[in-house]
Amino acid sequence: MPDNNRGVFSLIIINKAGGLIYQREFQSGLRQLSTNDYLVLAGTFHGVHAITRSITPKIPISQPAPSPATSSPSTTAPAPSSYSYPNPGVPVSGLDYLETDKFRLTCFQTLTGTKFLLFTDPLTGNVDTIIQKIYELYADFVMKNPFYQIEMPVRCEAFDRHLGAWLRGRT
Amino acid sequence: MAGPPRHATMQSISNGSTLQSGDRPQAQPSQQQLSQQSPGLRVPSNRKTIYDRHLNRSRNTELSRASFAFLFGEMVTYAQRRVTGIQDLEKRLNEQGYPLGLRLLDLLFYRSTSTSSSALSSSSTSSSPPNRPLRIITLLHLIHGPLWRLLFGRAADALEHSVSPDTPNEYMITDNDPMVNTYISAPRDMSMLNCAAYVAGIIEGVCDGCGFETKVSAHNQPTELWPSRTVFLVRFGDSVMEREKVLERAGIK
Amino acid sequence: MSYYFTILSPTDTPLFNIAFGTSKGGGDGIARFRFPETAQYMNQFIIHSSLDILEEAQWTNGGMYLKHIDTYPPAAAYITAFLTPSGARFLLLHQPPNLPSSTGTGSGLGSSSLLGTAGSTTRASSSSIAANPTSPQTEEAVRQFMNEVYENYVKTAMSPFYKQGMEIKSPVFRTRVTAAGRKWL
Repeated sequence: MPDNNRGVFSLIIINKAGGLIYQREFQSGLRQLSTNDYLVLAGTFHGVHAITRSITPKIPISQPAPSPATSSPSTTAPAPSSYSYPNPGVPVSGLDYLETDKFRLTCFQTLTGTKFLLFTDPLTGNVDTIIQKIYELYADFVMKNPFYQIEMPVRCEAFDRHLGAWLRGRT
Repeated sequence: MAGPPRHATMQSISNGSTLQSGDRPQAQPSQQQLSQQSPGLRVPSNRKTIYDRHLNRSRNTELSRASFAFLFGEMVTYAQRRVTGIQDLEKRLNEQGYPLGLRLLDLLFYRSTSTSSSALSSSSTSSSPPNRPLRIITLLHLIHGPLWRLLFGRAADALEHSVSPDTPNEYMITDNDPMVNTYISAPRDMSMLNCAAYVAGIIEGVCDGCGFETKVSAHNQPTELWPSRTVFLVRFGDSVMEREKVLERAGIK
Repeated sequence: MSYYFTILSPTDTPLFNIAFGTSKGGGDGIARFRFPETAQYMNQFIIHSSLDILEEAQWTNGGMYLKHIDTYPPAAAYITAFLTPSGARFLLLHQPPNLPSSTGTGSGLGSSSLLGTAGSTTRASSSSIAANPTSPQTEEAVRQFMNEVYENYVKTAMSPFYKQGMEIKSPVFRTRVTAAGRKWL
């Protein structure tokens, strides 16, 4: 993809309480929302993300074949606790991406609940790698910065610099 | 809950050592003194103290940059408590570095002696230890080269003497990208702050240890290519400058 | 030979001291100073009186081992110095034994003021280190001793619980210095 750089529009970071802590465009001249709209966007997305987690369908565990010896009387009545997510090995993630004809919104949630939203062109490939790198830069230049207060807006000059330089360097 | 077992181990350790020395009553005056002092001393279970560790053992081992970054970040946060301003914060960082400088000096010399002699047997006289720096230039070269390599694995980027005739006692050591500042971005209202004040403290400790009264401060001098370029301004005291003149006349290098 | 070894901080505070005797040539390692009743404070006094000379030598000789720097004839005490880069001074006072064969205490001391000519040379055959405090052998032995103490001093200084200028109380350090004394002196 020679046009990767053009493909990345902007980045939003949302803290675990749903507050906007970082917002940045990677192309000049993009139409901007007002600060308030960004805050609303972050809050709304946070809510939608939580909803998508909670509406993940659960299927009853049907006590299959492995225990035929003990399960003779109570085969048809599953206990109320024995629901499970489909594919139990994979944790429930919530909304991973939104896609329209014009853009794609990819969401990456860290273990601590911080969410990275990346707006890209739908044709952009390797979005996962881009987000991983952004996460790495965040871990380095935000979390290791003694002046950064956790859950507060990110104002780290070194993060901005490295992020910009890395995205520029990809093309 | 935690109390009794801990006490028990303490006892078993001290029992072990007192039994030993108690078996030989009045062995030697120095031995007697030792056993008097030892009750407070806790020896690790493998009986190895820091004196049993070779000083060059960790010479080439690498340290995680991330753990250093987190540790240093916490040091900055700690220093930031109850400070009144940027200068105060820098002073505290400086004070944290100072004792390290004093220690490093001895280690640096120890290591440079023992490497030159390690190939030969330790009893040979051919290992000539590096000289203690007597003149300013020797000292600065020591800092610029060996000390920087010990700390950061590379030499510093520049060493300059003040061009102004009013301040012949000022020298500048430049680091284009100080390792301590790698992950640090000072907030905008503290743009003058440079956390490399800690490194300045180390330099100050080294100079003071060698007998050169100095004040060292760290200053931001960003360039396009090196946004966190830092200049360490080394200002020697009057006593040093006077001695320097005397030593120059005496022809001591 | 009897020894008194002291570590002084850069500000002349005593950090460590120990008295011991030679272990070479059948020595038992116990200090026998010529004036036992005053040795306790005289040794320290003599060592401190050599500090002026040390501070002069400090800026003309860049080495760490400064060798024999001072002699105090009345007690036949020889001072050897070692300077760590961080300014701690290792000072070793050595005193050759008072020979029973010498011609009386007063004149014996007088002769040794000329860097130990008459009395010391007779004993030099029995053990070179023990008798002649200024011979190259002694100098070399003291160098080895100092280097070994220096290594242990660096280890002490690297301990996070030790602060520069603190008295060295570690019993392990003391045994290490004693061992170094037994090995080299």
